[in-house]
Amino acid sequence: MTFDFRIFTIILAFVALALAPTAEAQNQLGNTELNVPATLMAESQQVKAGQSVTLAFVMEPKPTWHGYWENPGDAGIGMSFDWTLPTGVTAGEPQFPVPDRLLISSIMNYVYKGDYAILVNLALSDAVQPGPLPISVKSEWLSCTDEICVPEQDELSITLQIVDKDTAIVLNERFNGFRDALPRPLGSDASFAVNDDQFRLSIPLPADVDVGTPYFFIKEDGIVDYAAAQKFNRDGDRLILETAARGDGLEEINGILKIGKDMGFLFKASKGEVAMTGLPLANPLADDGPTQQAGASLLFLALGGALLGGLLLNLMPCVFPILSLKAMSLAKAGGDETVVRRDALAYTAGVVLVATALGAVLLGLRSSGAAVGWAFQLQDPRIIFVLLALVTAIGLNLAGLFELPNVNFGNKLTQKDGAAGSFWTGALAAFVATPCTGPFMAAALGATIILPPIAALVIFAGLGVGLALPFLLIAFVPAIRSRLPKPGPWLDGFRKAMAIPMFLTSIGLIWLLGRQIGTDALGLSLIFLLAVALILWWFGGGQIKGLSRGMLTSGAMTAAIIGGVLALPSDAAMNSQKLANTSTATLPSEPFSETRLSELRASGEPVFAYFTADWCITCKANEAAAIQRTETADAFEAAKVTVLMGDWTRPDPEISKFLEKHGRAGVPLYLYYAPGENPVILPQLLTVATLTDLVNGPA
Amino acid sequence: MRNLPTIALASIAAISLASPLAAAQRNGAIAQDFKLTDVNGKTVQLSQFRGKTVVLEWHNPGCPFVAKHYRSGNMQAAQKTARQQGVVWLTINSGAKGKQGHMTGTEAKTLIATQNIQSTNYLFDTKGLVGKAYGAKTTPHMYIINGTGELVYQGAIDDKPTANPADIKSARNHVLAALKEIKSGDKVSVAQSRPYGCPVKYAS
Repeated sequence: MTFDFRIFTIILAFVALALAPTAEAQNQLGNTELNVPATLMAESQQVKAGQSVTLAFVMEPKPTWHGYWENPGDAGIGMSFDWTLPTGVTAGEPQFPVPDRLLISSIMNYVYKGDYAILVNLALSDAVQPGPLPISVKSEWLSCTDEICVPEQDELSITLQIVDKDTAIVLNERFNGFRDALPRPLGSDASFAVNDDQFRLSIPLPADVDVGTPYFFIKEDGIVDYAAAQKFNRDGDRLILETAARGDGLEEINGILKIGKDMGFLFKASKGEVAMTGLPLANPLADDGPTQQAGASLLFLALGGALLGGLLLNLMPCVFPILSLKAMSLAKAGGDETVVRRDALAYTAGVVLVATALGAVLLGLRSSGAAVGWAFQLQDPRIIFVLLALVTAIGLNLAGLFELPNVNFGNKLTQKDGAAGSFWTGALAAFVATPCTGPFMAAALGATIILPPIAALVIFAGLGVGLALPFLLIAFVPAIRSRLPKPGPWLDGFRKAMAIPMFLTSIGLIWLLGRQIGTDALGLSLIFLLAVALILWWFGGGQIKGLSRGMLTSGAMTAAIIGGVLALPSDAAMNSQKLANTSTATLPSEPFSETRLSELRASGEPVFAYFTADWCITCKANEAAAIQRTETADAFEAAKVTVLMGDWTRPDPEISKFLEKHGRAGVPLYLYYAPGENPVILPQLLTVATLTDLVNGPA
Repeated sequence: MRNLPTIALASIAAISLASPLAAAQRNGAIAQDFKLTDVNGKTVQLSQFRGKTVVLEWHNPGCPFVAKHYRSGNMQAAQKTARQQGVVWLTINSGAKGKQGHMTGTEAKTLIATQNIQSTNYLFDTKGLVGKAYGAKTTPHMYIINGTGELVYQGAIDDKPTANPADIKSARNHVLAALKEIKSGDKVSVAQSRPYGCPVKYAS
């Protein structure tokens, strides 16, 4: 008889299983050999009678391990909490952060892969007496890798201190981050329907909210087939989901709509009729789970799109002049094959490097939570101004206002001879091309949001390769090069004509700049632009007379551009400009802050404070129907009411805390502070009369 | 030679399941027929048990939730009770090669002996075709098929979704309760419940 090693390992496995209870017991004794260890934290060590304190279960999965959402999906188990609390203390419902999906061989798991925190509010009755407050909780949860699962448990405890009313309380800043990861209450209810095998859900969400690749996490089991594809339609202010049903039998369900990393909306839905109206979300991913295969084929699809998009970019008004003249110069180099190829490769390197670098910065900003898209650099007016000066100068150069020694176009860096010059031409082309990428690249760039960073960078590089492709072809296929028209006197006319698309690009940038900084500031910027043009004119005039004004020109140009950048309005001024723009200012408002509120209160002025978010449909409806109305604005102006507006579109800890203090988990919240009186919380559905009555008294 | 039964079973399963990735079976519908190979390489077909009540149990010896019911003897007791009532109990392992819980016939025989497993037969579904056709998500995941071939129960073994053996005493064993109701000609009162345990370790 031979010794079968596998049987031996199986027996060993059972021995290990038999010993497992001992290991669990050790955990309870504080031996933290857990795969997803939990730590209990309190937002403040000191608490006061009659108030509440937030506790956090901070879960820190080891690499490759994950924990589960309250509804774990097809397999797995949620977390349990068995509290031991002193009298007068009650624990609220645990609040889980927005989960991730993990699809393993068609079994859907709703999980957390990185560190996460579950929050629980403890409410203290008025009767608790100052002194120590011991809190203890026995918790069980399931920890898994993609391969194995281990049920874990721990007994966690913390001792808080009850202090008297006048003691100052220090809050733990980490809780701001924990709260940002929680789903935010949507503020309006959805409706759902189950017909045969089909589940449909209609979610109220303003039409202009960007949802990316949405996913619906349902809290109740037995209604939805978790692993089935989720199809989304957009119909005006509703987002409609269709997916496979598992059962019927509930009148009300709850869930989270996730529209980005840590960005989700919590809502409930009641039974009703739901039709699949509107248009499907233009997102190839909605149908696929985040599987490896889908990722791979998506990568190729997106890479193809990026290549094609890059190729098409060559025809854009901002790129074509640079490209066509560079192509001519390549053709001019004509005979010398090696020089042509070296230049083409250097140009490609410049394009690909800048495209990838812009992509890397974009991914970096995204992962830090900023809502940025491609061409994000155009959100900064300083960059727009520099780009504007550059494009205008190129246009003037093409038009023949001035010549740069030994070059046919371009800025200082691109005129350097040889490979370095070609490299910088490529870099310039890629940078200038970004504002034109939008329509062609939307789908491919959209894919970069969900692909792993390396794959996303490959797509950005693909965009660069596409942009450089015509050059590579010219350089490496002599047949194409010989077809290019021979340089001759006509080239001068062609070059002047190429100034037209360049100036069109300038006009586009001026419009963009004007939208960001307002027309007053734009006027000042254009004066600096004129200065740039005049300096170049003077430089060109010198060239005709055979004078060298290079040094002086460079100095004056630099001064003009720096002056133009410095003359741009500050961030604060721009914010108020934006506010004035967006609200169209029927009822002007100031941004909300607690400091400003107490200032106004102290000076005895009436205050109306409202809290809103772009994704909150109730908020938008109230603003249109009651707040942004002339009647309201007139009444508030007559009564000298100051309006404070808190925008909760992105998480904001100060606003979150303020909402919580008023018993709200989310927006909308409307408050009126009559001088010297306690604030009045207004109903969630406003009318003009509700608001005007505040200052006029009931009619 | 040990691989031969596996290959045979895979081809049989592939032929006998028209749409192997079809959605989970519905209660009241005729349960999908299948052929699988047992620990001795013998083929077992579901339809050969027509006229008898059949229990399907998804199994993975490495899963702590399965261990809860075997270490305590709870699953073996349920198997014994069921077989005494003339019920056929098929334990199915859908663990793919290289995944947790995968076993060869010899290994499974050793396991059956050491754990005193009482089921009628222990079957291999290495390709996961039968598991997916039934929508088996967890280990354990239980199904009951009545004498006329209809699916009458699917879900968990009991109503205490924990890995703690101490919870077994106070739990309602959904399978034993359903078998009792079937025997006395009643409708199964809890015909569906949420399965709990580890995800089935399918190949893909």
